[in-house]
Amino acid sequence: MFKKNKLKKFYSNSSKIRLDIIEILFKAQSGHSGPSLSIVEILNYLFFQKKIYKNFNNRDNFVLSKGHAVPALYSILFNLNLISKKNFQSFREIGSSLQGHPDRTKLKYIELGTGALGQGLSVSIGFALGNLMLRKNKKSFCLIGDGEIQEGQIWEAAMYAGAHKLKDLCVILDNNKMQNETHTKKTLDIMPLKKKWEAFNWKVLEIDGHSYFDIHNAFNKFYKEKKKPTIIIANTIKGKGVSFMENSAAWHSKVLSEKDYLIAKKELI
Amino acid sequence: MGNYLKKKALRNIFGDHLIYLGKKNKKICVVSCDLKSATKTSGFFKIFPKRSFEVGIAEANGLGVATGLALKGFIPVISSFGAFITGKFLEIRTSISYNDVPVKIIGTHGGFIGKDGATQSGTQDLSLMTSLPNFEVFQPCSPIETKKILNYIVKSKKPSYVRICRNEVGEVYDKNFKFLPGIHKELIKSKVNVIISSGPLIFNCSDAIKILKKKNIKTGLINVNSFKPFNFKLMEKLLKNKKNVLVVEDHVSQGGLSGLVYETIAKSKMSKINLKSLNLDEKFSESGTPNDLEKINGFDSNNIAKTFYEKFKLAK
Repeated sequence: MFKKNKLKKFYSNSSKIRLDIIEILFKAQSGHSGPSLSIVEILNYLFFQKKIYKNFNNRDNFVLSKGHAVPALYSILFNLNLISKKNFQSFREIGSSLQGHPDRTKLKYIELGTGALGQGLSVSIGFALGNLMLRKNKKSFCLIGDGEIQEGQIWEAAMYAGAHKLKDLCVILDNNKMQNETHTKKTLDIMPLKKKWEAFNWKVLEIDGHSYFDIHNAFNKFYKEKKKPTIIIANTIKGKGVSFMENSAAWHSKVLSEKDYLIAKKELI
Repeated sequence: MGNYLKKKALRNIFGDHLIYLGKKNKKICVVSCDLKSATKTSGFFKIFPKRSFEVGIAEANGLGVATGLALKGFIPVISSFGAFITGKFLEIRTSISYNDVPVKIIGTHGGFIGKDGATQSGTQDLSLMTSLPNFEVFQPCSPIETKKILNYIVKSKKPSYVRICRNEVGEVYDKNFKFLPGIHKELIKSKVNVIISSGPLIFNCSDAIKILKKKNIKTGLINVNSFKPFNFKLMEKLLKNKKNVLVVEDHVSQGGLSGLVYETIAKSKMSKINLKSLNLDEKFSESGTPNDLEKINGFDSNNIAKTFYEKFKLAK
């Protein structure tokens, strides 16, 4: 179905994006590795396959509601040549436009500064409503975390989008099954995900969030959807791509030592 | 001061003027949180249904939706009770203030609102909202001031909070009044005594000044409509050579008008000023008619006058 070359290119690009994430996290000696690594394939697909920022002034909107995963977005923007290497490496430094959590007032490619969780989806609804008023046939994407849906505002927003049948709105839920301290299941179980979102009148798709095949099919279904907002529940692995970070709650925001960094780099090259 | 005309509730003025502005500017849209009739946006909803969004009893989502609309180039006005909407502080702080997005928040039912009681009364809103970077914070006292502030905020590229009280009031300005952020107005001039207030309490203060006049105590009146930006230099100039200053506000003592006047004096060298403040201290409001609540809390004109001459030992 897919050409081998295309798949190879997709996965090698994902490795490059991961490597660059590790580079800046090591340099900054802080930041969120696990939750950045779990969303790489999804961002890679949206920005390199769907090319949602190709014409930035007439773009589809993208909000990274789980703002702590911004190293992944910075790495995408760097690999799209939208930010310079020098700028990229200034991540988390004083005066940098690449803040620890995204800041739209400092970097124009950030559509919404986020960090306090639960707020991005409401703003993405505002984007979708704005597009409807402007009669722009544009999509509004919002990437949220699984732990993030413990915030009440998510459900206010979910109720609104479902009731108003915002078909151009697509939420990607990064279901890496962990949050700041430990497993979501141990903190506050969020299951059953599918039934919850279906009950709020969303079209629910469940996929392997690291599979090009699954991601491609899910987004195609979203583009064809005519009646409901879409949520893609992307089952992912926190820390994906670096063996010792995978499925580890400790690597939510642990600092990389030089030894960690060298092992991670070796695994990703 | 201008003449008292037929008294009007400022929220009605807000609702009517919003329709007028909506006709002139098609970018203006309104977000409601199930309080259209109480906050007087029903008229706008009826005339401009495509630019009107009812989010239900979900203020946090409403604020986010308004943020998205503003980022798309619209001018969203979101109205609710001040007590409710400013309660969503984290959403306002992150989505609007931190992102510097021109969302226009109208907080109605500030101060003593009546029998619904403390939970619905905005008495901490100014303190919360003035703490937020990028925000402009205003409070009108009269119909003309309300319209001029609305004219300003829909043009401003900054996020705004406007506190609108429930009282029915007259007018202090004529139609040529120009509103500029940070410009405090000396409504009644005086040499040594002055009352500083904001919003509809201006009228109680004005009546108190008439009572004081009968006792031969000449007292001035300063109206503050702009809490942020707050022009400290201008306030200092207005207070120069004043001896007795009373601040009157229907808000808790911290973070409101009293604090700003104290700060003005602390920043200046005006050490000889006697300053007192009539405010809600640390209390919540309660159920009662607005008039009774004003009386029991000491905000009626008689008590304002009494406070003035007793605190400053001016009565013979």
